[in-house]
Amino acid sequence: MEAKQPVALIGWSLPMMEAADRLNRPFVVVGPPSCESYARRYDIPFVGWDFERLNNEIPMEQRLEHAGELYDRLKEYGVRLAIPLFEETVEWAGALNGMFREDPRLFYHSLLFRHKAKMKRRALIGGLSVGVFEEGNNREDVRRFLQRINDVHLQADREAPIHIKPFDRAGAAGHRLIQSEKDIEEKLDDSNFPCLMESHLEGVEVSCEVFIHRGKIKFLNITEYVVFGYSMMAPPSPEIEKKRPQIRKACQQLIDAFQLEYGVIHPEFFLADDGRIHFGEVAFRVPGGHIYELIQKTYGFNPFEAHLLCFDPDVKDEEFKSLFPDERKANGHAGSLLVYPRVKRIQGLDIPKELEEHPGFDRHNMFTPVERKVPDREGYGNHHGTVFFYHQDCEQVRQPLRDFVKHDFYI
Amino acid sequence: MAMEMTEKNRADRFVQALNTLAEAQPFAKQLYQNHFFQEAGRQMDTLDGMEMLYSYADRFDEAGVFEGGPWQDPSKLQPNLVNGSLRVDGVESIVAALSELRMVAIAQGRVEHEKVSAEEAKEYVNEVMALNLDFIFPEEVDDEGAQQGKETERAQRLFKVIVDQMSLKALSGTLIEEIVRLSVQRPIMVDRIQLMVEKAAQLMNSNVDEEHRKEIERYYRAISQLTPLSQKHSDYKDYRQELKNLDEGELKKEAEAFAESMRETGLVSPYHVILIRYLNRSKTDLLPTALSLNAKGKANLEENLSLVRELIKVAIHLPTRQSLYGFARMLERGVLSYHPVVPGLRRLVELDIIPNVRQTLLNAFSDTDGLTANDIMTAGVISVLGQPLGVGQGLNPTCQSARALSLWSIHAPGYLLELVARAARDGDIDMDFEGDTIHSKDLPGGLAPELHKELDPVSLILVPHLDRIYAEMVRRVQFRLDDPHKWVNPAFYGQWIPNGFTKVFDHLTGNVTDYAPFVRLFYATHHPEYNEGYEMTYPNPVGICITTVYGKMLGFHAISIQRIAKDPKGEYRVYFYNPNNDSSQNWGQGIKPAVRGHGEYEGESSLPFHQFVSRLYAFHYNPYEQGDAFAVEDETVEQIEKLARESWGQEYNWIGKNALGCGYGAM
Repeated sequence: MEAKQPVALIGWSLPMMEAADRLNRPFVVVGPPSCESYARRYDIPFVGWDFERLNNEIPMEQRLEHAGELYDRLKEYGVRLAIPLFEETVEWAGALNGMFREDPRLFYHSLLFRHKAKMKRRALIGGLSVGVFEEGNNREDVRRFLQRINDVHLQADREAPIHIKPFDRAGAAGHRLIQSEKDIEEKLDDSNFPCLMESHLEGVEVSCEVFIHRGKIKFLNITEYVVFGYSMMAPPSPEIEKKRPQIRKACQQLIDAFQLEYGVIHPEFFLADDGRIHFGEVAFRVPGGHIYELIQKTYGFNPFEAHLLCFDPDVKDEEFKSLFPDERKANGHAGSLLVYPRVKRIQGLDIPKELEEHPGFDRHNMFTPVERKVPDREGYGNHHGTVFFYHQDCEQVRQPLRDFVKHDFYI
Repeated sequence: MAMEMTEKNRADRFVQALNTLAEAQPFAKQLYQNHFFQEAGRQMDTLDGMEMLYSYADRFDEAGVFEGGPWQDPSKLQPNLVNGSLRVDGVESIVAALSELRMVAIAQGRVEHEKVSAEEAKEYVNEVMALNLDFIFPEEVDDEGAQQGKETERAQRLFKVIVDQMSLKALSGTLIEEIVRLSVQRPIMVDRIQLMVEKAAQLMNSNVDEEHRKEIERYYRAISQLTPLSQKHSDYKDYRQELKNLDEGELKKEAEAFAESMRETGLVSPYHVILIRYLNRSKTDLLPTALSLNAKGKANLEENLSLVRELIKVAIHLPTRQSLYGFARMLERGVLSYHPVVPGLRRLVELDIIPNVRQTLLNAFSDTDGLTANDIMTAGVISVLGQPLGVGQGLNPTCQSARALSLWSIHAPGYLLELVARAARDGDIDMDFEGDTIHSKDLPGGLAPELHKELDPVSLILVPHLDRIYAEMVRRVQFRLDDPHKWVNPAFYGQWIPNGFTKVFDHLTGNVTDYAPFVRLFYATHHPEYNEGYEMTYPNPVGICITTVYGKMLGFHAISIQRIAKDPKGEYRVYFYNPNNDSSQNWGQGIKPAVRGHGEYEGESSLPFHQFVSRLYAFHYNPYEQGDAFAVEDETVEQIEKLARESWGQEYNWIGKNALGCGYGAM
């Protein structure tokens, strides 16, 4: 192997740095300036880049030209490849890779993952089943869209709901469910526009973590959303697992539609009762909700390492053979429950005895926080704590994932 | 895998978490610390678990348990912070406990640490034990005990393990030192000393040195049944009754015994109070004996006998017994001869106190025994007038206010009484600042709601007002191009503070600038051999850098220089008042403020002149009373600069005129 050129990790992530270090791959971290002192303390090669400020100041499409400075600074380290880690860094990594490989198309390609309407349109062109969607610029658009959807639904007893989402936010940030004219008045203001408007998709929601190299799926993890936004389990329960071949097919279809060669995608699908699979949306980054940790627990490999390898065109096929286990043979089920305080001011912590004594309980990471005031949350925001479950029997994981969503851990 | 957590299982989980943490790269330790603390916390739920943790404590540092956090460097640990940390509901108390176990492992020689020797660790742990007697000897569990939190129980388990490893015998030595050290400063608030004495008394039955046993006994008696009569009649009512049967000689003996003990220890026995009140009614001629007054005190008492009798009746009760010591000292200071003091004190007895102040005062004692708020306030004022250097800030960051009370008690008792009356009656005090009058009642915030209430009554009444006014004065001048204290201190403390002001830090850059001229100016304005013999008239509020036992910068602190004089050995020393009432700390580099043995008055700390200067960063001076700065020997300036640079100065850039140049030492 030739002298190793470092890769740039776009975003500050300790597990990713640890993975690179384990793989013995040199890396440079591009992270917020506030992380610089930490990086310096541990001699981590670091380039400060204020994503939060720049993303506020520079429209998405113009970030390519502004990435020149970052490119120059990374060139000094001899960087050859940029790996996106978080939602708000995806297009920056795309811009950098466009420059590394002298192919600006890579930047525009990355934008497909940062704009929910573009993403849907592309999937639709690729033949995936998607809901009806339009781009909306004001409440009037929403009203009209809701009307049109209901015109065709012909439901007498209730209105069919629609969903409003900002184009470029991760997770559930800015997501609004609209069921009536009243909702339009009450739930939406100017900050919600422009947005994606889409019809409601029925079915069980799953997410996939698809590890791709040379356009092929190297490993597919399926995560079951037990309570949407709050708890998830991987691998999923048997009734979903049965559909793995169809889900795999949908994933490959998505890869082909997006002409993806390298990396990891994190799409969300709805599995309808009739067996059809609808595409929800897709991200090009590390999934949230501790999903990589669930995969590590049940499949025994390190997904952060796999993430690095899949983004790298220079990695040989053999390297994956020893890395990925058989995706149909997981060792048990692992689940995570994300805990959000439901109080304004935290007085203490209540970890119920039934939780710690539950056969499926693995661990949790909550202490009474020093900062007791709970910041206003947007979307699902950042969770304050996580409970992990693990058991051979998926019911011993799924049941508490459902039950403890209702429990107030922070009191 | 699927099973409930058994004890064995828990232990395995802990070891697994430790191993995982140990394997991680230093930069990634953070990823595994939370889980490790969770598992460690589980172990702390049982004594066996705590012992198990200790058996792994030699690995903690190497595994990165403290990596990146405030406990990482054991040489920066502060024994006096341990108790607070252990009580925090959250991860802090778990890490604090693990850190203590690590220190015990270092002290026991189970592991070596590059920054702390076994001997240093042992000293540290001994001090921690002395400061955590409440955990070592838990209170009897009564109804309050039912609510004691899991943090408290965890800390008690921790100290069981520590005491098992370290010897209680060593503790008794530290404990006595601590008791002597604190009591010799004659603080007004003695709750902590009393607690330690009571705890020490529990040690007397274990195998403690004979010498230590006697010391403990001496202190224990001082706060309890000191005399044979009080031992025989321990019930207060019986004792009071018995006093009536004593003849003159027996009464005198009883009075002498209590007076002697109070003078030696600064602590007052409840029986002493019963005796005093009895004498006050029927044998006033024995009062000077019962207080062991000197000539000046006796004269003051005779001159004001009717007021004295009245004050004893109002203020000296069982709960306020400690004011008896302040009472004796007040008479000896001759405060009653100050013209405004007598009417000022009389006014307090009948003052209309506003409800919230009344409640605060009544809450200050757990058992008020029918006392009124006026009784408590009067007792508090007596303490402050008798023990101006015994005023403490308690656990509050209000050293400025404590300094002010102390200064006024010495130089402006009439003004102090006026302020107390205004705050207690009107809920407001005011001060003039640069042409404006600032009223405390108009100011928001301040520390009042969060004020830690273990304070003397006068502080409870005045500190909330003083703190707000001080903060407001600072706010008004904060954007000027020099340190706000320059303008605020003379306005706040009064005309006793000279207007000249200097400090070592450049106000805008924070760099240490022109250190050598700073040192020379202090000598030329304060050292009797360089300042043309001007004596200090009033305390000087100065700023110092507090450093740890290893000389590391800990923070800024406000103290007052009381006087500068030769000690009995002929060495010049700075005698100062430290409002934290814990003056004899170890500041590293061999700099240990002393509280006795070098000619200190009650409540004073002292340091050799040059050692004191090495920690000084700001002071006031009178520009008209200045000697020759150039006369100070170069070696002296260099010696001081070296001490400063190698301690707190390490945290700063040094520029400008310095004796040792700019390039000195590590930058």
